[in-house]
Amino acid sequence: MLDDIEALKEEIAHVTITNEEELETFRLEFLSRKGKVPAMFSRMREVPNEEKAKVGKAMNAVKNLAEKTYEEHKKRLQRKETAALSAKDDLSLPAPPYAAGSYHPLTQTLEEMKEIFYRLGFSIADGPEVEDDFHNFTALNFPPNHPARDEQDTFFIRKSDDPETEDLVLRTHTSPVQIRLMQDKEPPIRTIMPGRVYRNEAVSPKSYFLFHQVEALYIDTDVSVAELKETLISFAQLMFGSDVKYRLRPGFFPFTEPSLEMDIWWETNGSGRWLEILGSGMVDPNVLKAVDIDPEKYTGFAWGMGVERIALLRHQIDDIRIFYDNDVRFLEQFH
Amino acid sequence: MKISYNWLTEFIDLDLSPQETAEKLTLIGLEVEEVAAYGNRLEGVLVGEVLEVNDHPNADRLRICKVDTGNETVQIICGADNVTGGQKVPVATVGTSLPVETDDGEPFTIREVKLRGKESRGMICAEDELGLGDDHSGIMVLDQRLAPGTPLHEALDLYRDTIIDIELTPNRPDATCHLGVARDLAAALSLELSRPFETTFAETEPLKEIDIEIEAPEKCHRYAGKMVRNISIDDSPSWLQHRLKALGVRPVNNIVDITNYVMFELGQPLHAFDADTLKGDKIVVKDFEEEITFETLDHVQRNCPAGTLFICDGEGPVAIAGVMGGVDSEVSDQTRNILIESAYFDPASIRKTAKEQVLQTDASYRFERGVDPQLQRIAAERTARLIAEVAGGTVVDGCTDVHPVRTEAHSLSLRKSYVNRLLGTDFSTDEIAGLLDGLEFGLLEKNESVLRYRIPTFRPDLEREVDLIEEVGRLYDYNNIPSPGHGKFISPEPITEWEKMLSKSKETAKGLRFREIYSNSLMPEEEAGWLGKLDDMIHTLNPISSDMTTLRPSLLYGFLKATAYNFNRKARQVRFFEVGNVFEQAEKGTYHRGILEETNILLGLAGFKTVEHWKTEPEHYDAFDLKASVRSFLEQLDIGKHVDTSVDENNVLHYNVQDDTIGKLYSVSDEMLSHFDITLPAVIAEFSLTQIFRIRRKIGKQPYEAVSKFPSFEFDFAVIVDQSVRAGDLLKSIRETAGPSLRDLQIFDVFEGESLGKKKKSLAFRLSFLDKNKTLTINEVEPIINKVVKALEKQYSAKLRS
Repeated sequence: MLDDIEALKEEIAHVTITNEEELETFRLEFLSRKGKVPAMFSRMREVPNEEKAKVGKAMNAVKNLAEKTYEEHKKRLQRKETAALSAKDDLSLPAPPYAAGSYHPLTQTLEEMKEIFYRLGFSIADGPEVEDDFHNFTALNFPPNHPARDEQDTFFIRKSDDPETEDLVLRTHTSPVQIRLMQDKEPPIRTIMPGRVYRNEAVSPKSYFLFHQVEALYIDTDVSVAELKETLISFAQLMFGSDVKYRLRPGFFPFTEPSLEMDIWWETNGSGRWLEILGSGMVDPNVLKAVDIDPEKYTGFAWGMGVERIALLRHQIDDIRIFYDNDVRFLEQFH
Repeated sequence: MKISYNWLTEFIDLDLSPQETAEKLTLIGLEVEEVAAYGNRLEGVLVGEVLEVNDHPNADRLRICKVDTGNETVQIICGADNVTGGQKVPVATVGTSLPVETDDGEPFTIREVKLRGKESRGMICAEDELGLGDDHSGIMVLDQRLAPGTPLHEALDLYRDTIIDIELTPNRPDATCHLGVARDLAAALSLELSRPFETTFAETEPLKEIDIEIEAPEKCHRYAGKMVRNISIDDSPSWLQHRLKALGVRPVNNIVDITNYVMFELGQPLHAFDADTLKGDKIVVKDFEEEITFETLDHVQRNCPAGTLFICDGEGPVAIAGVMGGVDSEVSDQTRNILIESAYFDPASIRKTAKEQVLQTDASYRFERGVDPQLQRIAAERTARLIAEVAGGTVVDGCTDVHPVRTEAHSLSLRKSYVNRLLGTDFSTDEIAGLLDGLEFGLLEKNESVLRYRIPTFRPDLEREVDLIEEVGRLYDYNNIPSPGHGKFISPEPITEWEKMLSKSKETAKGLRFREIYSNSLMPEEEAGWLGKLDDMIHTLNPISSDMTTLRPSLLYGFLKATAYNFNRKARQVRFFEVGNVFEQAEKGTYHRGILEETNILLGLAGFKTVEHWKTEPEHYDAFDLKASVRSFLEQLDIGKHVDTSVDENNVLHYNVQDDTIGKLYSVSDEMLSHFDITLPAVIAEFSLTQIFRIRRKIGKQPYEAVSKFPSFEFDFAVIVDQSVRAGDLLKSIRETAGPSLRDLQIFDVFEGESLGKKKKSLAFRLSFLDKNKTLTINEVEPIINKVVKALEKQYSAKLRS
C-alpha cells in the first residue's frame, strides 16, 4: 500500500501542465470525485488499524501535493493570461523620446587635447577676446606697419590717436595670453591657452571669421628645439595614434625664431597627403624682452593649432561652417 | 609666388625632379602649395606627309592613309573627312601618350591596332587630341613647308615646364625671384650657383640725357636710371614669351616683357618709361602735401592721399612709385628711346600705398618685403643689355645712380653654444659653417666657439644671432634634430579653479540633458537692438558684413537663431546650452577700460517637452521645466543654497546672491519669437559664470554635514492670499520665521476658484522639520507653525484655510 501511495506521489510530482486544458485533465485525473486521490483514500478500509495513522499521513501528503500543484499551475496560467492581455505591458512598444545631452564636437576635440596636455604636465590659462594692440601684436614682435600684420586680417574695436589709449582688436590668435602669463609669472611656465579668435576673412568652406585655437607655452632654462620636437611628437602620437607619420618644416611667425610647422600624413580612400596641423617655434628673444624675461637665461617654445582644423580632420568634415549652424542632426552624431 | 623649374636649372645643376625639388623647398622653409605642369612638348608626335588616301574596304567612314613620317612610311587608318593626299599633318607614333584621357582616366596611348581588319600604326591627330585647341572637326593641317619627321614641338615651338607655387613667408624678400630660390636650393643641396649675367660694374658717369633727383630720400633710398636708344618695339621672342606665360604673366611687348623677366630673375622690380614722353628731361622722386589724382596703366583714375610717393617728370607725376606706372609715359608701339628705372623704395611706404589703392602688383609685392638695396645698378644694366639684345638699339653709356641712403652689409656673430642650446644639437663651428655655406654670407671669422658673418643686403631678415640660428636649423632640416625620447619633468601646477568650474558647468549642463551649441559672437546691429541699448554694446569698426557688426551682449541671439534653424528643419524640440563670452560697455571694464567681458552660460528649452505618443500627450516646455534644471545646475555648482530669487514686473525671475544678480530666467516674448520665426514657445536662463566664480570663491569650500539620525516631522497647511502676492515672498517669509529646523519646504497645491473669493488664491505648503539631536514632535513644531502663520497673516494678509 505504501508503495502505491509513493508511486502516485511521484506521478503527481512529474506531471507537466502548460495550458488550461492540461490543468483540467490533471484535475479530472487526480482530484475529481472519481480521480486517483479520492480512489486512494477509499482503500483506507484495507489498512490494518495499527498502520492507519502512518498511511493516513502519507495519503494526506499526496492529497496536499496534488492540490498545491493544481493551485500553483492555475495561478501561473492566470498570471500569464493577464500579462498577455494588457497592451501597455508589451515591452516591444517604443519608449517615448528622451534626448541625451551632448558636447559640441569642438568641445570634444578640445577636451581631448586638454587631456593630452595635462598628461604632458601643462597647466591652463585664458584671457580676453577683446585685446589691446600691445598684447595682440606689439609684444609678440609684430612691428607696426609690418606685412606680418596683414597676414592676420583684424577686426578693430577701438582706434585712437591718443597714445594713452591702446587700440583694441578682436584677438587674432591666443598668443596674447602668453604675454599676459609671462607678465604675471616667473618661469618655469608650462601652460596651454585655449580660446576663441577672430579673423576678418571671407567665409568659405575652409575658413570662418572666428575659430578656436589652443596655444602651448613652455619657458624654462635650456628649452630647445629638440624638446619642442619631443613634445610635438608626443602630442601627435597621443592625438592621432602612435603610428602617426609626421614631418617638421620651417615656418614663419613673428613671435618665434626659429619657427617650425608640423604636418601629418593623412590618408583618405587610399590616397594620402601632408596636412599642416600646427605652427610652433622657439619664443623670439624680442617677445621675452617685452615681458622682462632674460633671453640669455631662459628659452622656451610655443605652439598653436586650430581646434576646428583638427576636428575637421578627425571627423572628415569638409565644411567648417557646419560647426556654427548648430543643426541638431549634426550635433547628435557626437557623443 | 610662381617659380619655373626650367628657369631654376639656369642657375643650378638640379638633379631632382620637379616633385622632389618642391619637397626639398618645403623642407627648407619655402613652402610649396602646388606643383603644376605647364604646356606639353608632345614627344613622339611628328610631322607626317600624307602620301596616299584610299577607301577602307570594310568601313564607309574610314580611310587608309600612307604617311611618310621621315624615317619610314606607315599605314594609318583615319576617320576624318578632311584628310587628303599631300597634306602635312601631326602624327602620333606608336607608344606616344597624348594629353587626353581615356574613359578610365588613363592617358591615351597609341598602339598598333587593326581597324576593321586593316592594320594601323599611329594616329593622325586633331587639335583637341593634342591639347592644342578645341577643334575636333577634322585633323590638324600643318604648314606645307615642314619636313616630314620634324618633331611637332620644333614645328610648333611647343614648350613644357613645371611651375612650383611657393607660399612665401613675409620674412624672405630674397626668395621673390628665381635667383633667390636657386640660392636656397644650392645651399641645401651643396650645389654651385652660377649667374648668367654680369654683377660688377665700374663707377660710371651719370646720364647726360636725363636728370634724376630724389626729393624724398627717406622713402626712396636709391634710384638708378639707364637708357637704351633706337629700340624697335615688337612681340618678344618665343623663349621670353614661354618663360612669362608659364608663370601666368601675359606678354605685352619686348620691353615690358624684359623688365618683367629681370624682376622674376633677380627680384628687382623695374619700370620702362618712354623717354621721349618725359617732360623737361627730368625725373623727380617726391611726395605731395595734397591728394593727387592720377591715372595708372590699368586706366583707373586713382585718388592718392598726401604722402603717396610719385615718380615725376618736369611737369608732374608719371608713376605711383613702386606700385604702377601712368598711362602717359607708357611704352607704346612708337617708342624709340627708353629710360629704365631700377629703384629701392621704403617697404612701409609702398605697403601703405598698395593698401590704400587696394592694388598689389608684382612690383609692390617685392618692394613692400624689401628688395636688395645693392641690386639696383646690376638690374638696370642687366635689363639694358637684354633689351639691346632682344629689341635692338644701343645702350647709352653711363648710368645715373642716385643713392642718398646707403645700406651696407652688416656683420653678425654666432656663438656655437647658443646654437646648440636653442636647437638641442651638438654642432661644432665647422659643421655650422658647412651648413651655412652656399647662402653667400661672408665668413669673417671662425674659431672653436664663435663664427662671424657678413650678412648680405638681400637678407634684411637676418638682424640677430637668433635669426642665423634659424638658418642653421632649416638647412640642417628639423627632422634630423634628435628628439631625446623623453620629456623633462616639471612640477605641474594645479588646474585653475576657473577652468575646473568651466568644465563642471559644461558637464552639468550635459548631464541635465542639454545639447551644447557654438554660436557666432558677432551679430547684426538690427538684432542687437532687441537685446538692449545699442549704445551700451561693442561694435567692430570694420565689420565683415552688416550681419556681423556687434559683439553679443547675451547668448540669447545664438540660441534663438539655432532654435529657428532647427524648427525650420522639422525639429520639434530643442534643449540647448552654450558657454561663451559676452561683451558690453562699462566704465571700468574687465581687462580693458570700457569693455566688460564676461563668460556666460545659457540654458534654453523650446518646443515640445513631450510629443504625441502612446505614453504621453503633447505638451510644451514651460518655465518650470527650466527652473528645475537651473536648480540642479546651481546645486551642482555648490551655490544653490546661497541663491535667492525675485520676480520683476515683466515676470522675469532673477537669481541673486546678496546684492548681485547672477542670472535670470524667463519665457521668450511672443514678439521676439515671431521676429525669429519661431512658432513654439521658448524659455531661457542665462547666468554669468564670471559672477558665479566670484561667489564660489567668497563662499569657499563647505564642510560635510552629518546626516541626522532622527526622523523628520512633516506638517501641511494652506493659506488664502490675494492673487498678486508672490509665492516666492511667502516661501521667504516662512523660511525666515521658521528658523533652522525647517529643512524642506514645498508647495504641493496651488488653487484658484470662485469659492475662495474674487482675486484670491490658495497655496498649500508642506514643511519638513528636522533636528540633529532629537526626534521632533508636534509639541516642538506647533509653536513654530503658529509663528509662521501669524507672520504670513501680518505680512500678506494670508488667511489660514481650514
